[in-house]
Amino acid sequence: MAGNFWQSSHHQQWILDKQELRRDRQFDLNILSEEEYQKVFNFFASIIQVLGEQLKLRQQVIATATVYFKRFYARNSLKCIDPLLLAPTCVFLASKVEEFGVISNSRLITTCQTVIKNKFSYAYGQQEFPYRTNHILECEFYLLENLDCCLIVYQPYRPLLLFVQDIGQDDQLLTYAWRIVNDSLRTDVSLLYPPYQIAIGALQIACVMLGKDNLKPWFAELNVDMDKIQEIVRAIINLYEMWKSYDEKKEIQGLLSKMPKPKPAPQR
Amino acid sequence: MGDNFQNKTMAAVMMDYDFKIKTQNERSKVEDLFDYEGCKVGRGTYGHVYKARRKDGSDTKDYALKQIEGTGLSMSACREIALLRELKHPNVINLIRVFLSHTDRKVWLLFDYAEHDLWHIIKFHRAAKANKKSVMVPKGMVKSLLYQILDGIHYLHSNWVLHRDLKPANILVMGEGPERGRVKIADMGFARLFNAPLKPLADLDPVVVTFWYRAPELLLGARHYTKAIDIWAIGCIFAELLTSEPIFHCRQEDIKTSNPYHHDQLDRIFNVMGFPLEKDWEDIRKMPEHATLVKDFKRSNYQNCSLSKYMDRHKIKPDSKAFSLLQRLLLMDPNKRITSEQAMQDPYFAEDPLPTQDVFAGCTIPYPKREFLTDDDQEDKSDSKARQNQQQQQPNTQQNQVQQNSHDHGANNAKRMRMTGPNQGNNTGGGQQEFHQQQQMMFGSQQQGGSSQQQGNYQQRF
Repeated sequence: MAGNFWQSSHHQQWILDKQELRRDRQFDLNILSEEEYQKVFNFFASIIQVLGEQLKLRQQVIATATVYFKRFYARNSLKCIDPLLLAPTCVFLASKVEEFGVISNSRLITTCQTVIKNKFSYAYGQQEFPYRTNHILECEFYLLENLDCCLIVYQPYRPLLLFVQDIGQDDQLLTYAWRIVNDSLRTDVSLLYPPYQIAIGALQIACVMLGKDNLKPWFAELNVDMDKIQEIVRAIINLYEMWKSYDEKKEIQGLLSKMPKPKPAPQR
Repeated sequence: MGDNFQNKTMAAVMMDYDFKIKTQNERSKVEDLFDYEGCKVGRGTYGHVYKARRKDGSDTKDYALKQIEGTGLSMSACREIALLRELKHPNVINLIRVFLSHTDRKVWLLFDYAEHDLWHIIKFHRAAKANKKSVMVPKGMVKSLLYQILDGIHYLHSNWVLHRDLKPANILVMGEGPERGRVKIADMGFARLFNAPLKPLADLDPVVVTFWYRAPELLLGARHYTKAIDIWAIGCIFAELLTSEPIFHCRQEDIKTSNPYHHDQLDRIFNVMGFPLEKDWEDIRKMPEHATLVKDFKRSNYQNCSLSKYMDRHKIKPDSKAFSLLQRLLLMDPNKRITSEQAMQDPYFAEDPLPTQDVFAGCTIPYPKREFLTDDDQEDKSDSKARQNQQQQQPNTQQNQVQQNSHDHGANNAKRMRMTGPNQGNNTGGGQQEFHQQQQMMFGSQQQGGSSQQQGNYQQRF
């Protein structure tokens, strides 16, 4: 379905309105500040990224998994499903959809256990990854339902490649912009803007970083809503600003314990 | 799975109880919304298909409910849902909704119901031919079918989706109703995006296209699927519609082999098409199995074979527009094979009779409705597969060709009940007599009779 973004479920159902998104998150935002909320998502995006890398998935699959994760919580509170379970479930589903292949259940669980133990002990301490295959499989049905079966996600990577080609192949520019697109997964832009706009936003930031003034005419000729691009640029720059003063290793335990959590069935 | 969300080791709660109850209450169950018990109409490796009606009577349409084989979300179920969720075209099957049954972990897909498919249609014509009976269908039916298949595939291809498993059983035709006589391409379980394969295509499904419809480059080990592979399959289907015989019919010993090279199937293709000349397919030397080809085959064995001779034997004249289009679809060199778009521009479609949106062109549909299958509970799946394979291995004689084909559906093992009377299927009623003048036999419809002029009055044109 790479052919037609405009008729896709991504465009028709999953480009969300900023105000609505904030309203849907109201429950969580009564407990976490916007910045804390973003830090929590930043953390789980890292888990998805590391899981994906350990499983040798392509960035496209990792990006799709991250968007599934964000879409689920765009419509649901963090308390509905433990994000530590939803994160690997998103990876599992995305790898099937993106045709990386089915990750074997045992390999997925083992990878979750090692990743949590070796890379995220600063968040979970001595606690082990608590879920098993049956949890992932059950969670997968809930995820699919909440995604309304919209599984094809358009990513900014392909438009980015096309834009860089159009500019005249510039490997350094592509590398920078590619990384910025990766970083953009930690913001809400993938819920709010079409992927080609995110690609343009990433290119703009890359140009600023590399001091490339000569591309101004190229941007000026684009037939896009520059206000939207500026919103994207601002969202990503805000993320970079946040990172400057943020020590995840110190803060994340506090944030995870503050985060709204699932409640078990009432005791009889 | 049950209610045991609480994990002993970490005391983590996986899912919020209120959320679980709320979604449970909101979730509609397929068995609450639809009546389908005892209405199984299809069975195969993909699962089971039922003819269903809404319980609440909000409409009286027929639906097709497909229960996907196995439990949970297999990769092919995922692909099918992901792609069908996005695709929308009159000639591509429309996924209405998905039901996830949490208790037994079954996945159900709801589609519009298509009463016919090309496998059954061709089978019907073949049986009629064997009994020396004629079937009255509109003169342009094959053309209309082909046009709509091309239209659907063109849509898929322009959306960077390959079907990869085109065969008569996957080409559905709508029965009576608002979409009467419209082609619907189905069974996208194997479909995949091909603009940016994350894995070499051959790694995922060792064998995907049923051998008879497999393009020669696949049989020679091509690792990447292309649009041209679907086009070849369409060419095979077109030939089969024209002659009622699978053009590259071949005995098959083993369906699931990871080796794409298939000697007998190639032999069959060369027996029809002739052995490809170097100048006709320059890149054949680059095919992974080219060495095997050179070792196993002798050009001289196919000296007298050609598509025009084959089709001529089946009464399709080499100077007809149908033949000329067929030849462009069935070019051995995938790079020279035409695209669906080019095929739709072919003069064949500009020639009278013009293709119609209702492939039956308003005439009585001569084909029976689908029969309901009953479950044979004793039957174990592997057993049924073994029998299907056996079925395929029967020698190719006139008598059992129809039977042989039936591996596509796997329905031949099931006991059948006829649910509809003959009223729908047969065009024997006196009041329908007038149609006969506009109808001709589907096969051997090359003669340009005077009937085509009258036909024009009844046909809706594209």
